[in-house]
Amino acid sequence: MALLEIRSLTKLFGGLTAIFELDLDVHKREIVGLIGPNGAGKSTALNMIGGVYLPTNGQILLRGEDITSLSSHHRAARGIARVFQDNLLFSTFSVLENVLAGLHLRTNMGLRDILFGGHRAHHHDQVLINKSLSILESLGIASEKDELAMNLPHGKQRILSLAIALAPGPRLLLLDEPITGMNAKEVETMLAMIRALRDEKGITCIIIEHNLRAVMGLCDRIAVLNFGKKIAEGTSSEIVENPAVMEAYLGTEENVT
Amino acid sequence: MNLSGQMIWQGLVNGLALGWIYVLMALGLTLIFGIMNIMQFAHGEIYMMGAYVVYYLTASFGFPLLPATATSMVIMALFGVILDRFLFRRLKGQVIGPIVVSLGLTLILMSSAVVFFGLYERSIPMLAQGSVNIFGSIVPKDRILAVAVAVLLTFCLHLFLKKSKYGQAMVATAQSPEGAILQGISPTKMSALAWAIGCALAAAAGALGGSLFMLGPSMGLLPLIKGLVIIVVGGMGSLPGAVLGGMILGLIDGLVPIIFGPALAALLPLLIVILVLVIRPQGLFGVEHE
Amino acid sequence: MLNMNRSMLIKIFGFTGLAALFIAAPPIVSNIYWISVLILTQIYILMAASMRTILLIGHISLGHIGFMLLGAYGSALLVMKAGFPFCMALIVAGFLSGLVGLALGYPFLRVRGIYFAILTLLTSESFRLVAFNWRGMTGGAMGLMGIPSPDAISIPGLGVIDFSTTEGYYYLTLVVICLSLMVLYRLERSRLGFKWRAIREAEKLAQAVGVNVMWYKLVCFAVACFFAGIAGALFAHFQRGLSADASSIFSVLTSIYLLVYIVVGGENKFAGPIIGAFVLSMTSEFARPLEEFQPMMIGGLAIVVVMLMPGGILGFLGQIRFWWSKVLKQETRQGIKG
Repeated sequence: MALLEIRSLTKLFGGLTAIFELDLDVHKREIVGLIGPNGAGKSTALNMIGGVYLPTNGQILLRGEDITSLSSHHRAARGIARVFQDNLLFSTFSVLENVLAGLHLRTNMGLRDILFGGHRAHHHDQVLINKSLSILESLGIASEKDELAMNLPHGKQRILSLAIALAPGPRLLLLDEPITGMNAKEVETMLAMIRALRDEKGITCIIIEHNLRAVMGLCDRIAVLNFGKKIAEGTSSEIVENPAVMEAYLGTEENVT
Repeated sequence: MNLSGQMIWQGLVNGLALGWIYVLMALGLTLIFGIMNIMQFAHGEIYMMGAYVVYYLTASFGFPLLPATATSMVIMALFGVILDRFLFRRLKGQVIGPIVVSLGLTLILMSSAVVFFGLYERSIPMLAQGSVNIFGSIVPKDRILAVAVAVLLTFCLHLFLKKSKYGQAMVATAQSPEGAILQGISPTKMSALAWAIGCALAAAAGALGGSLFMLGPSMGLLPLIKGLVIIVVGGMGSLPGAVLGGMILGLIDGLVPIIFGPALAALLPLLIVILVLVIRPQGLFGVEHE
Repeated sequence: MLNMNRSMLIKIFGFTGLAALFIAAPPIVSNIYWISVLILTQIYILMAASMRTILLIGHISLGHIGFMLLGAYGSALLVMKAGFPFCMALIVAGFLSGLVGLALGYPFLRVRGIYFAILTLLTSESFRLVAFNWRGMTGGAMGLMGIPSPDAISIPGLGVIDFSTTEGYYYLTLVVICLSLMVLYRLERSRLGFKWRAIREAEKLAQAVGVNVMWYKLVCFAVACFFAGIAGALFAHFQRGLSADASSIFSVLTSIYLLVYIVVGGENKFAGPIIGAFVLSMTSEFARPLEEFQPMMIGGLAIVVVMLMPGGILGFLGQIRFWWSKVLKQETRQGIKG
């Protein structure tokens, strides 16, 4: 049984068909890429997997359980985490506070903790703070722990997004354009991090990217979307040879840089 | 309760007139919000000022009603452009700021009206004298004329948005602000235009409301709230939504107090709004918001 | 480290001083009119503070006064028609407002932010119109008269406290308001408050890390409405009569004033609405002769604050403190050099 099974997923916005009958299986410890030119529907697909959009039709199964109509916080509780596009963070929180927020699922929210937990209890809970610090350390940004998230440089913000997503120890990680806007060195670091997440922690990853070449080496399998439909699926080498894929990219002047 | 057919007709016709006045308010509000993402809470005071300008022109200068209304529309349009230029344009992008400023403006304008004009009501000339016999019931002519004027203005707006260059530019700006800028549409022109048209419509609504119903410093609060409710129920940015919502609300306000009493009439719009939102959070004609 | 201790000390001294002032006010002022003003000011303070709590989840409620109305009429009717003792009526009125807030919050909190503001405005006006027109329950346009004050209680050591006097009611209000503010403050600083701020900051992200955003928003709104109800009950038994006409305290104007209090005091700190409500309430009392110009001035003040001093009074003071500490740093550096 695959970790995630997507069956005939469809999403319509008014008259616009954003995704049409998408079928995809994602197996444990796989890194799957969802590639396509801009507007192909990749973000819509990820939003449906993450629970931000309710599909118009179709099913999503996680370990055999139908999660199609569950909202994102329920999916988070079932081990799905997400790194959003455009470095969505708690901007006015510090780096440490961002990860503390990410640890919500591991935080006691009993009445006693709320009313009698002492001044800013959350921030003084040593267990939570240690957990946050270790995550920050493993990603190399522990030194900035008191810096405000909005003051971080772009690349570090991206890493912070990753830290937040990893905080509760998810099994499936959804990455929305993780390398967009990064320089070559940062891209290398990010790709290595994602690979390490799979190799060392066994986290399954679904990556959205429009830059095919960059994620080719990373993904075990790639599904290519165009105009809301899956036009190809296979290993990186299979995809690169596929004429339909080439046409989709050349046709929109999107360069396989 | 003895309900005569005449009373029901009266309620219906009043409700229709009320409804279309509300529609004009809603159109202005949705226009300004669509372009600037600012909810103009002081719109009720624009309505009120529009009515008072008409009063001043008719009482002191002897203008006939319709030219006075047209002049008031122009004056309030200019006022709106000034508000945009000096106050609201600087607040673009903020959330709380514009709300506080527009509410502060409401306080200033309403109390200024009390100070200058006093608390008691005034009157402006009737739109039309006498009544007409429809289906055996007596219908006052001014109600009919008011609806006609409102429908005409709404239709003009519709044509403007659909056919004219500036109208299309406004629609584009409302749908995608960045895209519109890329196409060379000037955001400052668009916001000024939105304010001008919005305030002109509110002034017209004020003239109609003042002539048909009442003219006093606090006259603007109710139409504002009704306009806001219409937007929520009909969906932001939708002209047909505003028209439908306005008519429904107007008919409720016209008929329910007569049939069921004022207490229920106050609660019913709220209940309807809640019902609509539970079923469709984006409003009847609204678009699903990401 | 030393700095933090000093600022804590200042805070403690400040609060104790303020508390002493408030406790000693009635005998010092010993003027029934001004003690009444202080009672009403405290009620406004609780309204402003609880309204700001809703701001923590990123929503503006323009209809907070509607929940005060629920509490006011609720408590009055429970005492007058159902024979409840005051303490029970107070709490039940609060819960009534809170429950209605919960019920309305479910559809209201799901929609876009600006819709929420509009809906709360509609709600409070609707409540007011119902109260104004429902002759059977609320006396309609005539209003609800003859609300009894709480029964006197006897405390060993202090003797009998009679709440039908203004001084007695002042202390009742003081105790209730202080307890309420303490609860609100605790909640804001707790884990719950942290979740609320996370929701305001980035709702989609909060949801994605497992926060049940709807639930947390509902709790926040219900709590805020609970305290509005408490404020309303205090109001009802103080005024001994309620009216819901267009010029009463339950009109939209009061909601606007509350928002201005929050903005002028500073929306970023807990003390902001307290300061704003206190300062503006008291100033408008002193400026009684200029009563007709007051809405104008308050509106003008609100606009000025938004355009020039967005952090309000507290924000401004904070900025001054910041500059001052920078100046001090400069001087120290120069001291070392020269």
